[in-house]
Amino acid sequence: MAAEGVRKEPKSADNPILWVARPMATAARQFGKSLIRPSTIVYPFERLEDPQFREEVAVAAGKPIGVGAVWDNYRGVHALNVATCISCNLCAFSCPDLCIDMVTVPGGDPKHPKKCPEIDYGKCSYCGFCSDACPEGCLTMTTRYELSTAKRSEMVYSPAKLYEVFQRKLPMNPVRIELPENEDAILLDPPLCIGCNACSRDCPTQCITMIDIPKVGPKPGEKPAKRIWKEPVINDSDCVRCGTCISVCPKECLFWGSRT
Amino acid sequence: MSVTLLSVATAISQAILGAIGSVLPQPASGAVTNVNTVDGLAALIFAAILLLASMLNTIVLIWWERKLLGRFMDRRGAMHVGYAGLLQNFADGIKLFRKDTVKPREADTLGFWSGPTAYMVTSLIIFAILPVSTGWNSGSLPLSLLLALAVFSFAPLFIFVSAWSSNNKYSLIGGMRSAAQMIAYEVPILLAVVAVVLVSGSFDLQTIVLEQTNYWFWVPLFLALVVFVAGMLAEMERIPFDLPEAEAELVEGWNTEYGGMMFAFFMLTDYLRALLGSFLIVLLFLGGWTMPGWVPAAATSFPLAGIFWFMLKVYIVFTVFVWIRASLPRVRTDQLLRVGWNRMVPLALLSVVLAALLVTVKCLPVLGCIPTLGG
Amino acid sequence: MSEMWINMGPQHPMTHGLWNLRVHVDGEMVLDVDPEMGYLHRGIEKISEDRHYNEVVTLMDRCCYVAGLAWEHLYILSAEQALGIRPPERAEWIRVMSEEFQRLGSHLMWYAAFVQDIGLMAPFLYGMRDRDLVLDLFQSYTGARMTYEYMRVGGVRNDLPNGFTDQSRKVCDWLIDRFEEYDRLCLASAIFHKRCDGLGKMSRADCVAYGVTGPMLRSAGSKRDLRKDRPYSAYDRVEFDVATADGADVTARYLVRMEEMRQSVRIIRQALDWLDKNPGPVMAARVPRWLGAPYAPIGNEGYLLKRNYPKGLGLSAIEEPHGEAQAYIVNDGGEHPYRVKFRSPVFANISAAKKYLVGYRIADIPPIMGSVDVCVGECDR
Repeated sequence: MAAEGVRKEPKSADNPILWVARPMATAARQFGKSLIRPSTIVYPFERLEDPQFREEVAVAAGKPIGVGAVWDNYRGVHALNVATCISCNLCAFSCPDLCIDMVTVPGGDPKHPKKCPEIDYGKCSYCGFCSDACPEGCLTMTTRYELSTAKRSEMVYSPAKLYEVFQRKLPMNPVRIELPENEDAILLDPPLCIGCNACSRDCPTQCITMIDIPKVGPKPGEKPAKRIWKEPVINDSDCVRCGTCISVCPKECLFWGSRT
Repeated sequence: MSVTLLSVATAISQAILGAIGSVLPQPASGAVTNVNTVDGLAALIFAAILLLASMLNTIVLIWWERKLLGRFMDRRGAMHVGYAGLLQNFADGIKLFRKDTVKPREADTLGFWSGPTAYMVTSLIIFAILPVSTGWNSGSLPLSLLLALAVFSFAPLFIFVSAWSSNNKYSLIGGMRSAAQMIAYEVPILLAVVAVVLVSGSFDLQTIVLEQTNYWFWVPLFLALVVFVAGMLAEMERIPFDLPEAEAELVEGWNTEYGGMMFAFFMLTDYLRALLGSFLIVLLFLGGWTMPGWVPAAATSFPLAGIFWFMLKVYIVFTVFVWIRASLPRVRTDQLLRVGWNRMVPLALLSVVLAALLVTVKCLPVLGCIPTLGG
Repeated sequence: MSEMWINMGPQHPMTHGLWNLRVHVDGEMVLDVDPEMGYLHRGIEKISEDRHYNEVVTLMDRCCYVAGLAWEHLYILSAEQALGIRPPERAEWIRVMSEEFQRLGSHLMWYAAFVQDIGLMAPFLYGMRDRDLVLDLFQSYTGARMTYEYMRVGGVRNDLPNGFTDQSRKVCDWLIDRFEEYDRLCLASAIFHKRCDGLGKMSRADCVAYGVTGPMLRSAGSKRDLRKDRPYSAYDRVEFDVATADGADVTARYLVRMEEMRQSVRIIRQALDWLDKNPGPVMAARVPRWLGAPYAPIGNEGYLLKRNYPKGLGLSAIEEPHGEAQAYIVNDGGEHPYRVKFRSPVFANISAAKKYLVGYRIADIPPIMGSVDVCVGECDR
């Protein structure tokens, strides 16, 4: 191990003759080294993501430049697989910069329009929370990083454009936080429920089923209710915890909680 | 007959005027091809060639420094405009030319505009004085060395004028530093030159160079060379003596307020002066365009060989300056002045004494007796 | 030339950021200084109160743009304490490694800026070039070069990629050689000593009185280092020496920082050895979902909470590259922190400017401020 102990005094301070010569010799040595190959990467012509080039540079320069840039985890422009998107809104909810809009794309039925993320790269900070949150793994980040455009409006990537990125089959950031068994689930506060079906209708994974429940009958003297009372039941294993049901519930009777 | 700058200029002038004269009717044609007209135009062409050559050299010098510094810094330097970035500086120049120079409202108009111009002009004048090969200057001036150094030392005045009239505190401090530094280092430079003059016995640069045919002056006058190089570094305001424009504390020093073409003037003149400094070092200490005897005659006798060897030496000297710039930090004003007055002046005096001794005994322990010593 | 005030900043090469140093000068001498901070205030503490615990991490990278991972570490330590979550051991070691790499990156950046301040041209690029290697490593495991967003409450975002440890060792070897080169360019240079020796004196007692920490304090002979004094994460399991010097001047700070870089490499090598031998999870098992992925906002009332999550306070202090940084988080059981407060070492270090700048020359200001290592992002937050 090269670094042991604390060195306080410069080594060469005791030899004043070398005081100008040593730095100049060091610079000259560096000059000689960089005559072979400077560390500069001439960007548009040489690219770090090109593995062949990385090897070349490392060998030519004799230094570990560029080799450390493994691009598997790189967080660049998103790729969206529109086909598997379930319109759960989680990416938009998780975005700290509020740069994701859910826009309607063709493919849904008129009652449940399919919505996919549209990302404004003028605002995006490439934090990766959206791809971490995506329950289906359809929104991932790629190694693409060249975004410059002449117009600000071109910075907004529609789902179609994101799908184009997906089709290029760039190396994608596979990382997602795999959360183990989590204790939080969406629970129901039954007395408040009016059985309106909104949660079941809007659930992106269709994991909410409305079941008939016996309703307490009318008080004496009142007319019996004509409708059948219903109540949502959430299938926890299918639920992606997007919270759409909570946000559409008119009576605020769904909430986050623990089943245990 | 050897080709000189004046003969080239006269030939061009004769050709132009002859062509014009042949199409004009008689009385006008006679006036045009008159000897006085030819000489007048020759003088203009002479000046134009000098200007063009010095500017081109300066720009190439900047390119050379950029490339060298790039490699010193483990990068590439300019590389896209022209071959290996040779035209990059022209592109930069065009960009600066197109930019507006904003004069601060409270700045002194006359000083603000005239400072950079005079700074540049006084530096350009010297190129007419310095010979680059036999006959390649404005003619044999008996006191050309004195004249060159006198014009060279105008610079602090104009720097201070432009610094003061910028009405900026950074500029003012930079101008003060610059003036103090240049005046302090004039003294050792002149003393070192005195040593050279003592040994060569002449103020004429042509003579000084020809005196070095047998041996270059840096051998007997090494001390004077060291003093002269250090002084020139200070005069050229290059690292480690670039404190007037120390960008870390004074932003850009005395040219903080200048932009556009005026800034380009300053930058260009800085390198003009670097070129001049290298010229002077080569002329005074490194034998000018002469080469030592062991160099084969073929290498020194081809056309314009003198200019070739001279410029090669100039670029080598400048390369050393760049090397110093890449590897040494900048000193502080008080340290610089202390070194100037306390070390450089005594050293320069010592070198004068050594030169006088050399002239008196006319002998060097190593080189043996030299008949030409003392002129 | 009479006495005058000069504004060095907010845009000035010396500042290395966005702050203003008003200097009262008499000729070249500095009579008085008056640092003005706050030009880069973005209200990070206030914004944090409206963010999920994990989302605050994105702000931490913007807090200090040269030491993002160190600030993430600081925040995450505090947040985990406030939320009562313990990360797995592997995550702790990755964090230690990250912080030391970040220290290398930050100090290399400091070296580059510092030598530029004293007029050394070429080493500026050497420092930046070698910092790039560290950034390459960061890119390979965090996914970004500057804004990492890597640490999460309960662990880190992802595990190290394959071959990372070998590559890191290569970079460490390379850097150790480069440190020798740096010393040859600076310590072996007569002009460097002329410029830096005896400048910016700040005695140990003054440092303590002004709250000056980090390399500045250690350059005055103190052995205060939170990594040793109050070990956090896995620092109690690594072996290293605290770098100190006695001069209390610019040269002493240079020595301390160069030694710290060597010690960082030493720590990183130990961490890499540990990480090689001990694979495992990098995320705690019982992290509530709402920390991992935020959920839908509800109506106009913001977030509806019907959860009884434990309340708590979090207070953490780490040895950040610039000095001692602290974070204080109040968790009132909501999904956002109730209050977040940071203590920036740079703010204290700049505030003491009068102590170490007065009496020197204008030309001394850049080396002295360079040796303080200013990062305005964390100073103003």
